[in-house]
Amino acid sequence: MTAALLTLADSRLPAGGHAHSGGVEQAIAMGVLTDAGSLTTFLRRRLATSGAVAAGLAAAACGGGDLAALDAEADARTPSPALRAASRQQGRGLVRVGRRAWPSAAWDELPALPHHAIALGVAAAAGGLGPRDAAQAAAYLSVSGPATAAQRLLAMDPLTVAAITARLAPEVDDVATRAVADGLPAATDPLLDLLAEVHATRKDRIFAS
Amino acid sequence: MPPDHNLDDYVDAPGAHRHGGPLRVGLGGPVGSGKTALAAALCRTLGEEFDLAVVTNDIYTTEDADFLRRNAVLPDDRIEAVQTGCCPHTAIRDDITANLDAVELLEARHPGLELVFVESGGDNLTASFSYGLIDVQIFVLDVAGGDKVPRKGGPGVTAADLLVVNKTDLAPMVGADLDVMRRDSAAVRGGKPTLLISLRDEPTAAAVADWVREQIRVRVPA
Amino acid sequence: MRTDVEIVARRGPGGRTVLPVLRATGQLAVRRTGATTVHLVATAFGPLGGDDATIRIVVEEGATLGVLSVAAAIALPARGATTPSVQRIEADVEGSLDLRLEPTVVAAGAHHRAELVAGLGPHGQLTVTDQVLLGRAGEEPGRWTGTTRIERGGRPLLHTTVGLGTGEPAWLPPVAPRAYVSTVHIAETVHIAEEEVGVATGQDAVRLPLPGGWVTTAWGAELHRVVRAAAALAPAAPVRVPA
Ligand SMILES: Nc1nc2c(ncn2[C@@H]2O[C@H](COP(=O)(O)OP(=O)(O)OP(=O)(O)O)[C@@H](O)[C@H]2O)c(=O)[nH]1
Ligand SMILES: [Mg+2]
Repeated sequence: MTAALLTLADSRLPAGGHAHSGGVEQAIAMGVLTDAGSLTTFLRRRLATSGAVAAGLAAAACGGGDLAALDAEADARTPSPALRAASRQQGRGLVRVGRRAWPSAAWDELPALPHHAIALGVAAAAGGLGPRDAAQAAAYLSVSGPATAAQRLLAMDPLTVAAITARLAPEVDDVATRAVADGLPAATDPLLDLLAEVHATRKDRIFAS
Repeated sequence: MPPDHNLDDYVDAPGAHRHGGPLRVGLGGPVGSGKTALAAALCRTLGEEFDLAVVTNDIYTTEDADFLRRNAVLPDDRIEAVQTGCCPHTAIRDDITANLDAVELLEARHPGLELVFVESGGDNLTASFSYGLIDVQIFVLDVAGGDKVPRKGGPGVTAADLLVVNKTDLAPMVGADLDVMRRDSAAVRGGKPTLLISLRDEPTAAAVADWVREQIRVRVPA
Repeated sequence: MRTDVEIVARRGPGGRTVLPVLRATGQLAVRRTGATTVHLVATAFGPLGGDDATIRIVVEEGATLGVLSVAAAIALPARGATTPSVQRIEADVEGSLDLRLEPTVVAAGAHHRAELVAGLGPHGQLTVTDQVLLGRAGEEPGRWTGTTRIERGGRPLLHTTVGLGTGEPAWLPPVAPRAYVSTVHIAETVHIAEEEVGVATGQDAVRLPLPGGWVTTAWGAELHRVVRAAAALAPAAPVRVPA
């Protein structure tokens, strides 16, 4: 691990993540997420599904996997058009800052709108990190952004939200370890698909996803 | 192997990553000060002369974009609305990704684009645009906010390339002294221009439009 | 116990479907029941934890095959064992395959893994439905892990793993349904624009586009309602609703 990992997983890295709630805005609207307890539950299910998949894709992309093939695998694991769009939008944002932060020829191999996890893997490699680091950043980002979105939307105590995220660390590590050891996960949560698709049709939303 | 860390290779001058392209004008200022009204006025006044488009950063709805569609004679494909995730100032200053995406989308859609207005969500006096996103910025204040506001300063008031004090028609109603506002603005702005206008009385925003024309003129190499 | 089923469907003279291979060993028997259908028949209780069934299906170009089952499968825990029961379906589809097995009921304490890996040729068509109920009446829910991978010409179209029941990391209240239904339909035309099928949502149900088709997923407390919710979102292919 090098400090590049801290930069990559920093919520202040200007890659566009702050405008995405990872389903939190709609989960709140549908009454599934109301307080610290249900936030923890929501983050767990996100981590175990889209977080695990992102970790696997990021690790594979970082480890020199065929990026076009991985992009197709990401699509197959993301049938929701809204989630695909959110992922590719964030991928583009990460490429924009990543190119400046860690110049590398690998960026040119990515499509114009890569899935976020794949861009993350390339960023990790360009920053001198390994697949496990990439997986960890992906797993961590799958919960850190949504956690702060919930904090903003529900006016939650930021200390509570920070504690929730911090205490998920062992689970984040576990997801990252397994994503590297067991090959590409495909875990999915149909609830997240539904939330994303309903959210995308709303006119009164604060978050992009 | 970490890449060779030569900072000089990575950091370029502000705005240097943009070569040509449309002039990007930020419109910032507190809630309700008249940013959208000014954007609409500028689109109407400058729309014949320049190929232009607008990005809106509404906090909650597509209200501003809808208003522009109705009032600025701008077709839908020249207006992009971005979501700011509860943080309007983040979207124009700290993480400008969504706004860059929107501007680039408009540029790709309209290759001849000469002018893009980026309206921020209504925020407070500390909100200002990153120069990674825009070339020049206009901060719009509202006379009804009180004649003390320019004196209070803040990056929006002190550093904006143009300060617009809007709704001068309301000065008698709210007991605001326009001379005080003019004097205080001059005092904190170090010579940068301030315009006092009323979009209600003068809906073409001619003075602001002149300033924008000048920005385009000085930017294009002779 | 190991179970192996092998079915090959071929287009015969006059366009009818012939079945040059139709064999089963272990806990399943396979019977031809119609011009284009076969039924799987359980010959024992179960599956039990540790049981391992592989069903290989080949549908050759021009052939049509429906694979059904006669009754719900009830996955039961093996005494003293914690290993899951596994049912793996490997399908190689150049023709048209309709895979509609009766529901899988996962009894308390049992863990059942269902895997489908389907490879479609250029003209391959596939409809596949999973119906799952966790726990028999009045019983605690069991655990079900279902993986679906569908490829066409080596390109992945859909790859998902859904985990339901106690022990599955994303099966968490307040959204921890006992009943789950998913139907995937891939039409022959690979050129159907995704927008033509489009997204549809219901309460606890969602339809998502796939290249050349769609996938519907629905979940809830009662299987018959969930089956209806999924069917309500299906644009074209008929989904059977139990009476
Ligand atoms: N009296 C008066 N009203 C004005 C003037 N300019 C704008 N308004 C009104 O002020 C209100 C707010 O104007 P907007 O243009 O929506 O303000 P805004 O800064 O875009 O507001 P947000 O985007 O919500 O922050 C509207 O009702 C306008 O009609 C003016 O010069 N005089
Ligand atoms: Mg406005």
